[in-house]
Amino acid sequence: MKIIVNGKEAGTKETGCAICGSDWGSYYAKVDGEELFFCCDICAKEFSNMIQEVKNRTNWNKIDEVNIRGNWSMGRHVMARSGVQRYYFYITFDEDGNIRTFKPE
Amino acid sequence: MPICPVCEITYDSWDQVSDHMLKFVEKSEAKHVMWLNHNISIKSLNQKELSEKLEEFFSLNESLAMWIRRRFIERFYGTEPHPFMVAMQNPTKGVLLGYVLEHQHFLRNWVRILSTIIYRSEYDDVVRYELENMTTEFLGFEGKPSHYELLIRMGESLGLKRAEILSTPPLPATLSAIKTWKNIAETKGWVETMAAMHSLELVSDRSLIKDGATIPYFSPKILESNEYPDAVKNFLREGYEADLYHAGEALRLVEKYAKNPEIIQVIVLKSFDAFAKYLLSRLERGMMLDPLVKA
Repeated sequence: MKIIVNGKEAGTKETGCAICGSDWGSYYAKVDGEELFFCCDICAKEFSNMIQEVKNRTNWNKIDEVNIRGNWSMGRHVMARSGVQRYYFYITFDEDGNIRTFKPE
Repeated sequence: MPICPVCEITYDSWDQVSDHMLKFVEKSEAKHVMWLNHNISIKSLNQKELSEKLEEFFSLNESLAMWIRRRFIERFYGTEPHPFMVAMQNPTKGVLLGYVLEHQHFLRNWVRILSTIIYRSEYDDVVRYELENMTTEFLGFEGKPSHYELLIRMGESLGLKRAEILSTPPLPATLSAIKTWKNIAETKGWVETMAAMHSLELVSDRSLIKDGATIPYFSPKILESNEYPDAVKNFLREGYEADLYHAGEALRLVEKYAKNPEIIQVIVLKSFDAFAKYLLSRLERGMMLDPLVKA
């Protein structure tokens, strides 16, 4: 999965956390069959919940790309792509990493 | 005293705080990692770099009040202002209704928290200040309606019934923020509580612009515009005129009675985190009422 966070590639220790872009910490989690880097377990939970929600809403089997713009304080505007199909949404999370707001855009 | 901004444990040096935080980072402990992400940098630093950054971050070059003011500007009015303030430059009906339905809960909680400051402070200037603030916010003064009443009238002018406004429960993010402020009031000293609450009144302090805020709380053109009902303008004008004094005077009192600036700084940052989420909650409510509302 190609992951872009605020204009920069992310998802490994070198590139940064798959949802916030930070390279503090060393938490790994498997999402959509891929081992991804996160700075903490809350970020991992947020990302997994987001991917699952997109799959539920689109019926896609696989997501090829997510492009995330924003942060914890502003909320995040996201483009998810599967093949040539694209899905745009706005998302926020609660303190435990659960989805609080999900709004297709 | 150097302090861990998450655990609130004090140390003898910033080097020790840096060591402590990096131990938690090694374990990817979410609270420490997130604090660093939100306040220092999303790029990791070594022990010495982090120690220097922490010392720089907490240093009071001018005064505690000015430190709070500058951090508030950075957090809410920097190069990427908070989306609620962006929405308030030209607010739709949905944005304003979101403001009404969530803010009524904030204001009710507000006076309850201020009452704990009155209960615990032995200083008359503090008690007088808080009583005056509570009066203007909740009761009204010299025939003028309270800020709370003006808020409800704003909602009514936009088509909601008073009973409907008062019976709408808060969204989870509003409730979560209120819990944070209640927790501060219940577990911290009155000076810390005062700083946590009144620093939030900086939001509508229009003098922030001279210190670097990129936008005002709302476009002042609204106050002259015919597009908005008078009740909207009356509510916004009240905050516009009152909070300039409210926040400045409260932070002067905090400065006067603060014994431990570092703990105040840490608590203020926690309050700012809650406030950022709470402001998003106003927009979230707006989105529920009006599909045109965007964050």
